[in-house]
Amino acid sequence: MDHDGVEQVLRDHAALSRGDTDPELDAVRAAILIEDIFGVTLSDADIDPAMLADASAVAALVTRLRGPA
Amino acid sequence: MCGICGIVSASAPPDPALLRHMMGRLGHRGPDGNGWYRDRHVALGHTRLAIIDTSGGAQPLCNEDGMVWVTYNGEIFNYVELAEELRDLGHTFRTASDTEVVVHAWEEWGEECFSRFNGQWALALWDRRAERLVLSRDRLGVRPLFYARRPAGLLFASEVKALFADPSVERAFDPAGLDQTFTYWSPVAPRTVFCGIEQLEPGHYAVLDSDGFRKTAYWRITFPPRGREPVQDIEENTEALRERIIEAARLRFLRSDVPVGAYLSGGLDSAVTAAVISRYTSAPLHTFSLRFANSEFDEGLYQKKMSAVLGTQHQDIMVSPSDIAAVFPEVIRHAETPILRAAPAPLFLLSKLVRENGYKVVVTGEGADEVLAGYDLFREARVRLFWSRDPGSTKRTRAAELLYPWMARSPGRIPAFARSFFGRHLDPGDPALSHRPRWDSTSVIKSMLSADLQDRIGQAGGEDVVATMPPGSADWDPLSRGQWLEMTTLLAGYILAAQGDRMLMANSVEGRFPFLDADVVNFANTLPARHKLFGLEEKYLLKRAFSDLVPDDIIHRPKQPYRAPDAASFFAAGSPAWFDEVVSERAIAAAGVFEPSVVAGLVAKCRRTGGENMSNTDNMRILAVVSTQLTHDGFIAGGGQGADWPLAEPSVAVDLNTDDRSVP
Repeated sequence: MDHDGVEQVLRDHAALSRGDTDPELDAVRAAILIEDIFGVTLSDADIDPAMLADASAVAALVTRLRGPA
Repeated sequence: MCGICGIVSASAPPDPALLRHMMGRLGHRGPDGNGWYRDRHVALGHTRLAIIDTSGGAQPLCNEDGMVWVTYNGEIFNYVELAEELRDLGHTFRTASDTEVVVHAWEEWGEECFSRFNGQWALALWDRRAERLVLSRDRLGVRPLFYARRPAGLLFASEVKALFADPSVERAFDPAGLDQTFTYWSPVAPRTVFCGIEQLEPGHYAVLDSDGFRKTAYWRITFPPRGREPVQDIEENTEALRERIIEAARLRFLRSDVPVGAYLSGGLDSAVTAAVISRYTSAPLHTFSLRFANSEFDEGLYQKKMSAVLGTQHQDIMVSPSDIAAVFPEVIRHAETPILRAAPAPLFLLSKLVRENGYKVVVTGEGADEVLAGYDLFREARVRLFWSRDPGSTKRTRAAELLYPWMARSPGRIPAFARSFFGRHLDPGDPALSHRPRWDSTSVIKSMLSADLQDRIGQAGGEDVVATMPPGSADWDPLSRGQWLEMTTLLAGYILAAQGDRMLMANSVEGRFPFLDADVVNFANTLPARHKLFGLEEKYLLKRAFSDLVPDDIIHRPKQPYRAPDAASFFAAGSPAWFDEVVSERAIAAAGVFEPSVVAGLVAKCRRTGGENMSNTDNMRILAVVSTQLTHDGFIAGGGQGADWPLAEPSVAVDLNTDDRSVP
């Protein structure tokens, strides 16, 4: 999935946010989504609120974890 | 919706008195009329709930030359289009009923006709020329169809109690059927809890003729391999899903010659179906809801909100624990099987309310949770998979906090406990990863079984439903595998049966389920899993598709499964009069299912607590005991199946036993 695709997924995810959970838990929620959609496994360091809110960072992360095509 | 029954006998002509007795057991399914047909080999019976072509359409009904007869329970919602096609092919219709479409479709297309039907049915066709009986059941098992094979024939009926009208039918629990019930929550077709009584698998037809008895699937639950779903675009899928659900709801509301009401549970699914009916039809809508005095179960606020938004004429019924206890024996008489929850009982009371208000058809949201991934079990499975990828992760453990947000005592509030409970038997390669926690916790019931029954279960050799999963399922998304298991076990065996058809038909009310429309299901099964369960957001596509018709706070409220007070129903306000005898040491020993001393301990515990704040396991255990004992009392020991319904003069009475050449 390209950068736009990642951005769309994160945008859709953000639209579902209830705004009543703590950022760490939101990161876990995002990690579940990202792992399912992109078929990757994140490390604990990757499950980070700032990282998983940034489409460019997630796109780069997914690319790195998937390895060369 | 109706009751059907029949006798096939290769030797002596079927006994008309037995047929009449069987029909009498099904009177509640069809209080508007009855009819029968008999020849030298077959007798067909029918009790009618008149919904389409109420003045015509009496059954059993035959084709033009009287060589094909049908007794049929259900609705073929695309019957208008099929009738048009059949007329173009030269068939002549005498009625405006969907029943007649069945016989002409059979003549024209044979077994292929079933895959053309979009509806909910159980039927028996008798082809006199071929001397062939054909039984058929809808794709997902909305309508029931039981049979007992005998050396020289077969008995079939909509309900088991009609088969027991024949005193020669064995009355005994089937150890393997009980084993499945205490694992999967219900027996899995073709098995039932009774020895020698089977149910036709959903999506199948069976043939009985001179070559013997055989079954064939005309439809199967299937999914594409993950990543190879035909349409990946979410906008396109949202629009396509919306169109299909609108059409399915419209058909189910409009294709009736009597008024159709709707259930409003307070959740998303029934809100969508009611909103679609309200928006896309011009008829006024009457809605019905269940209320509970206990706020843990009550959804009245959302029901009222939705009713107000739609401007429906709304009625509800407040159900207390003692109401549940009072009707529970009647509920089991209709469910005809042990159940592990009290939830069917309030639905029995709700359908009674519907009927008392002059309605005999309701549209409900049933099926959306299975077809579009609404259950917590699917979210739970995704969390389990998430954990399995890095079992040592501390961050991943917190995912438990995202589960069961609706539950007052959510396991998510004690993440370490949740992790240990949901993390048991965590094998990412397990095809039933989604269902292990439920099956494991349900199987605890089996520790209460008598030694004798445990032996007999061991000897019977359990049937593992996982072993019957399609070979290609290994390539499906894990969500799809969970959906397959859910549709194969709980949907057909419990949701549509003990909690669905039986609780509706007990009060002569037909349920119609847009989310189980063939086009909706076939389409939904091709969707990418992420469109159904987006991360942990359940029924994601459904929410997107109807965000304009359903208020935000209903769309976005956490999924709250339908539940009712379980143990509390029998203990909170004192036990009902029938209770002590049903769970007495004598009765437990006589039934032989449970160990009397263990039951005595459980009952004592319930009495101490008033049934309040019991664990999920104890709630299931007490419900299993009470419902199993009532099933034994009513169906095996005898006496609880109720008196035969007083049948009126039949609208159809054809006896060809004396002259096989006569044409009716």
